[in-house]
Amino acid sequence: MAGSGVLNGREERLLPRPTPGVHQEAIGPDGAVRGHWRGFLDWLGELGTERRAAMARDLERSRAESGIAFSAREQADTAADPLPVILSAADWAEVEAGVIQRARLAEATLADIYGPSRMIRDGALPPGLVYGADAFAAHCAGWPQPPARYTYVYEADIARTAEGAWVCLADRLDTPLGDGWLIANRIATSQCLAQPFLDLGVRRVASHYARFQELLDSLTGWEGRLALLTRGEGDPRFFSHAYLARYLNAALVEPGDVTVREGAAFVKTLDGLKKIDVMLRGAPDKGVDALHRQADALPGAPALSLAARAGNLVMGNAIGCSVMAHRAMAPFAHVLAERLLSEDLRLHDAPCLWMGDPAARETVLADRSRWAIDPLNRRATAGDRAALADEENLAEAFRRKPERYIALRIPRLAETPVLRGGRVAAAPWIMRVFACWTGEGWSVAPSGVAAEIAQDTDPTTGGGGRVPALGFGKDVWVMADREDLPSMPSHSLLADRLATGHLRRTGRDLLSRVADEVFWMGRNAERAEGTLRVLDVCMRRYLSGNRTDAGPDLLVDIISSRAADRADLSPAQRFRDAVSRLVNDPVEPFGMPSILSALSAGAVRARLSISEEGWRYIERLSNDPRWGEGLSLRRSADLMRLVEDSLRNLAAFSGAAQDNLTRNFAWRFLEMGRRIERGIEVARIARRLAGEEEEDEESRLRAWLTLSDSTAAYRNRYMMVPRAAAVLDLLVLDEANPRALAYQLVQLEAVLAQLPREGPYRRAEHRLALSLLTELRMLDADALADTSETGTRTILARLMRRCERDLAEIADRISNSYFAHAEAPVALRHAGRTGAEVPGEAAADDEDDGTGSAGEAD
Amino acid sequence: MLYEVRHVTTYRYASPAAFSQHLLRLTPRDTDCQRVLESRIEITPRAEPLAAQRDLFGNAEHVATVARAHDTLRIAAISKVERQEPSQFIFEAGAPWERVRDQVIGAGNLPPVAEVAPYLYPSAMTGSNAAIRAYAAESLTPGRPLLAAAADLCTRIYTDFEYQPGATAADTHPRESFQTRQGVCQDFAHVMLACMRSLRLPARYVSGYLRTIPPEGQERLQGADASHAWVSVWDPVFSWVDFDPTNDVVPGLDHITLAWGRDFRDVSPVSGLVVGGGPQALSVGVDVLPLTAVPA
Repeated sequence: MAGSGVLNGREERLLPRPTPGVHQEAIGPDGAVRGHWRGFLDWLGELGTERRAAMARDLERSRAESGIAFSAREQADTAADPLPVILSAADWAEVEAGVIQRARLAEATLADIYGPSRMIRDGALPPGLVYGADAFAAHCAGWPQPPARYTYVYEADIARTAEGAWVCLADRLDTPLGDGWLIANRIATSQCLAQPFLDLGVRRVASHYARFQELLDSLTGWEGRLALLTRGEGDPRFFSHAYLARYLNAALVEPGDVTVREGAAFVKTLDGLKKIDVMLRGAPDKGVDALHRQADALPGAPALSLAARAGNLVMGNAIGCSVMAHRAMAPFAHVLAERLLSEDLRLHDAPCLWMGDPAARETVLADRSRWAIDPLNRRATAGDRAALADEENLAEAFRRKPERYIALRIPRLAETPVLRGGRVAAAPWIMRVFACWTGEGWSVAPSGVAAEIAQDTDPTTGGGGRVPALGFGKDVWVMADREDLPSMPSHSLLADRLATGHLRRTGRDLLSRVADEVFWMGRNAERAEGTLRVLDVCMRRYLSGNRTDAGPDLLVDIISSRAADRADLSPAQRFRDAVSRLVNDPVEPFGMPSILSALSAGAVRARLSISEEGWRYIERLSNDPRWGEGLSLRRSADLMRLVEDSLRNLAAFSGAAQDNLTRNFAWRFLEMGRRIERGIEVARIARRLAGEEEEDEESRLRAWLTLSDSTAAYRNRYMMVPRAAAVLDLLVLDEANPRALAYQLVQLEAVLAQLPREGPYRRAEHRLALSLLTELRMLDADALADTSETGTRTILARLMRRCERDLAEIADRISNSYFAHAEAPVALRHAGRTGAEVPGEAAADDEDDGTGSAGEAD
Repeated sequence: MLYEVRHVTTYRYASPAAFSQHLLRLTPRDTDCQRVLESRIEITPRAEPLAAQRDLFGNAEHVATVARAHDTLRIAAISKVERQEPSQFIFEAGAPWERVRDQVIGAGNLPPVAEVAPYLYPSAMTGSNAAIRAYAAESLTPGRPLLAAAADLCTRIYTDFEYQPGATAADTHPRESFQTRQGVCQDFAHVMLACMRSLRLPARYVSGYLRTIPPEGQERLQGADASHAWVSVWDPVFSWVDFDPTNDVVPGLDHITLAWGRDFRDVSPVSGLVVGGGPQALSVGVDVLPLTAVPA
């Protein structure tokens, strides 16, 4: 009974004794379990310690799985506490109203800062907070036609103080888009805690995102394109970007994928440039303007503000929003709300003082230990930070550049239940909440990502701590008002979203950059196989001790098809040297170290276009620690095993690519890369092992058959020792043998025929492939095996040379046709007063202040 | 004085560039003592139509895009400008610098001046250090009128620094040029700005041209003139007053104003990005041609 105020025996054991004077989410001031927690705690109590621990492990695994599916990085925080934070409908109403007002305030302030700057003229906002901030985007101020809105998404870090009042710890405006974690977290939690989740009638987030999707659809229109800009895999928020992009049907693009022409933004796809109408911006605004902020621009970034200024690109959020993300605005939030909205601020900020105010400086210097100093500009070096730890330096810095510092204090916060090894404890917590513009007003997702925060528990000075970076966290469950219940959507929209998102992904919009990466993955995978097979054959022969097969000259002949030959050494030394370089030398072009590092880097960058399974095999191959052990012929058994294992991983990767990749553009480029590289390899080996009729021809042909994995095929067909014409037929002309040159050309031609072309005629690379294939088809094996008086196979040698040359040419032409515009722009030199050239970026100077961390950008 | 100014920038690429995009601040602006009669920009090979816009500081900027393969790019700006002698000021009559500072940063009793607010705080290229601040303090003595202090600073930089082309580059920070006491007009302007901004005093970077008069009996050499840079300081009564620390003068008939901003980066005449092209070579030529007879 909710009103009884009595703990039953089970709950008494379950919940720890509340900290006196600290608001408890689950327990009321009278010591009774709060009504909206009762159902959940009953369920949790019945589970028992062991099943609670198991539930935590389940949830962690479920989070890790969704993390892996979208990002190559380990998601460090998948072990976040499994217990949700449960908020009553009344609590949520207060948070929601406060967050909506803050979002409106941010929009109004930005519109003023980049527009009439009335707040500065009126003295409501000190000019130093705007013009003294690196974040201020001068090139986006004073536009005759400002953007329709500056903000489309807004996030805030919210906490409840020990006294029970809601406060704001941070406004996140520059690159919010952390919604991916909210959604993924909710899915994992609602599966692992399905019973209480369903029984309690927790409010869903799907309808919130449905409203945002409607707005985005209306902004893009029928033909328009929505993109989500991310810095890429290296960004800690990449998981959320990738997840949200798929959820919202947005193309996930990186700065180098975008170009600005004639006042509009375009994404570089295989099909050429495609206009972007709406861009959700997950890359910091400082980095996306290659013309106006060249020094800060991210690699390959276009000049995005040009498209926004011309009115051809809706950007959420607009460039320049980061000026509002800094806490320095907090001390002025009340005044701004009064002046800009004519309203009282509903959701207050945690204590925050601006050091431009002399009285505030005194307060902070008198009680230094309780305040965290935050500089306006975050270019600080470690030396600067150390200097700020010193009282005297701090006083001097405050006096000299007061507008650049604020002092913050996180007060003692309320506590919520957390699980510790299956037992329930209580810990201070904060949450990130997510809002978006819907066209008519702001909508706040009725949930959040909550996290524990480590705080000083001293009752007199307690508080402080650092806001943790956003990731997976505790789910926030908002209870529905009874009236809300009937109108709630009964199922999540995620399944539909994911399905349609995937449909779009397989369409023609393959980014040129990704096509390029996948093409090179195909080539590099084939190169790795080529080198491994050569090593394999050579090692076997070397170890066999057979006089003919292991002859040093022959071994050198085989291995030098992959490694540069050092003619100054004896044949035995040459062989040892070549093996060692292929295995260990990072600058050997066809050596394993360079191939594997290219393969692994490409796999990371093309991560979302190759299958999950395929990606695992590449990782396993390239991360094999044995490649770093400096193996050589001296440890031939170990080396043999490594070569075999690596070949198995490559075979598994090829299999996964064949089976799991739908035949979309990504697959085609992988296939072309592979066929071209294998074709070049066959031609090179053919010339080397069969180009001349030699005394040890039989041994050479056997080596070739082994290299091509075709020994069994040959034996089945001919049941005799290798003869030149028969081997050439099998390995060059046979269109049914996947190792034969002809097969590579047939496949290559077929894929080339499917690629988009500009006019009615075949592209040059396609014609070249056709012509090669036709020439091969006009020949027979006897002609190929025919030798001149000196023993040279003239026709074979000429044809193989042509194949090597033309296949390389086809690769170049594919690059030019499909990837050339994916090339990243670089800054032009510019002339100073004397026409001198510009060197790299200058180091930070001592105007750069203090304590800033390189954590989350906003 | 009536001038024709020709400012030609040429990029040469080792291999053809597929695409290039340029930000141009090459159009002189009208001021109290300068009128722009005509101004045009010519680009070869032909670019997409120029996008023209005005920046926060009121400068005209153009964005040029060349979306076809090119191995040479020539950007020529040709302007006709009429320049008049500026008014004379008595610097000692201006307001004390502390009072100006309190007003502009919003700490005084007077309302802040939004127009000068962007020019108060150290920017990427006008940061200071202890040595620069000590140098500034010698001119900005307590209670001294801001303009008088600025004139003194201007003279000291002219005296203490050596004009040395090649000693610095376009992105040299004033910390560095202050230490070596060498540089060109851009460095001197940045040093003076670093001094002013360390005290939150309103001062801006002005880019422009300077007419050079050849030594007696010699012909003026083509392209020998230079783009130039100086400083403008704001006073509540006299508004913006120019100082040229390279020549220790208040800019007059020989100075033509192109654009102004917080530092060089805001007004860099030609900057941009290129796709492909390989190694680049850059050459710049400026001619300031008097169209009326030079007074004796």
